Amino acid sequence: MSTRVLPDFEILIPRDVPEAVRTLAEYGPKALVMAGGTDVLVMMKYNLRSEYLMSLSGIDGLDRLEFDPGNGLTIGATTTIAQIVDSPEVQAHYPALWQAASVLGSPQIRNAATVIGNLLRASPAGDCSCAVLALGGTLVLESVHGRREVSIDDLWLSYGVTARRPDELAVELRLPAPGAGTFSGFRRMTRTSEDLSKLNASVRLDMDGPVCRSARLAMGCVGPTTVRLPAIEAILTGKVVDDAVLKTVQNAVEGCISPIDDKRSSAEYRSAVAGVLLRRTIAQALDV
Amino acid sequence: MKKREICLHVNGERHILTVAANTTLLHALREDLNFTETKYGCGTGECGACTVLVDGTKAILACMTLAATMDGKHITTTAGLARDGKLHPVQQAFVDESGIQCGYCTPGMVMKTVSILARNPNPSEAEIRHGLEGNICRCTGYAKIVKSVQRAAELMADESKAAE
Repeated sequence: MSTRVLPDFEILIPRDVPEAVRTLAEYGPKALVMAGGTDVLVMMKYNLRSEYLMSLSGIDGLDRLEFDPGNGLTIGATTTIAQIVDSPEVQAHYPALWQAASVLGSPQIRNAATVIGNLLRASPAGDCSCAVLALGGTLVLESVHGRREVSIDDLWLSYGVTARRPDELAVELRLPAPGAGTFSGFRRMTRTSEDLSKLNASVRLDMDGPVCRSARLAMGCVGPTTVRLPAIEAILTGKVVDDAVLKTVQNAVEGCISPIDDKRSSAEYRSAVAGVLLRRTIAQALDV
Repeated sequence: MKKREICLHVNGERHILTVAANTTLLHALREDLNFTETKYGCGTGECGACTVLVDGTKAILACMTLAATMDGKHITTTAGLARDGKLHPVQQAFVDESGIQCGYCTPGMVMKTVSILARNPNPSEAEIRHGLEGNICRCTGYAKIVKSVQRAAELMADESKAAE
């Protein structure tokens, strides 16, 4: 039950990244980092407690959203979900991320929430998390010791736990440049528009004509973190993506996932529909 | 807990106030500045009754925003919409179309509508319903709220034409 009342804490509002990382070096695990606040503040109205809250609201220039056909997409720490939705370049080149961003939360939440915040929340229900895992990406972490990069494949250690160290600030996310044959998509199942997903799936397919050269398949809400589906990726690799292959994919999903019962859905339901959701996501990405 | 002084520009007026770290923007608006038309609904960012606009027409949830992070920002609440005693077209539309029953969701709905129409002056019904996500109404079943948004779009288009 939410108390709807925020506990006591001190707020720290650094004016630039060097001050922010010095702050984290000093306060470390005693300081929660807050960008949009749409996860942190909700959790603090429940039972999350912290002596310090470090807000990124005072730092200019962390809201970058830049696309370069050679280098790919750069997303800053305070880049909002709304900025993603408003970007024709993201819609064209990273449809999975755009589709996920378009349904995350509500318009008001999208105006405050951030992509990197979604990743650092490390919830398996994260919509942008699912899309980023499918697309591939690198999170850049900065501290007083310098910069470190973590692949999205290595970011989530367990539910709510990431590879970010307490003295590190996530400053940007880089998504790789899409190729000529790159397709991506995202779908989810939910009760109403605002609810967290009960199941979500995202795919990135690199195609040579009708043949899938490589696939990255991500699914949320079926384990403690968003997960890749390597066994299913292997089914697709090197194959023409036709109805027979899609049927094999659909039938193979149940054996690769471990959903639980929670307030949004049941393990039984998730197991029953996950394969269908993945198949539809692939079809959506390829527009077939 | 330490307090800090912040400056909020609300509906065009500058206010200096002292807030705690955990003071929400909603609390500051309602309790410190008396903008009680901005409603407290759920307190957890789900109902939209606390919707205000920042940086022009960007809709945010005041209950999910810390006042301390809003230092220097320009905020618009429902009280800031009318001009010289004349209702804003969005407000007038809600009156004309009876888009109000108990009225509790209405300030949030009105602010959201201003935000929708600023981006999309002629939205389809589907676009209106998608835009209204995040604002919950217990009374109306949304039909007359959707009509109010459509009427507001008409009124604002008429105003633009008259101004040309």
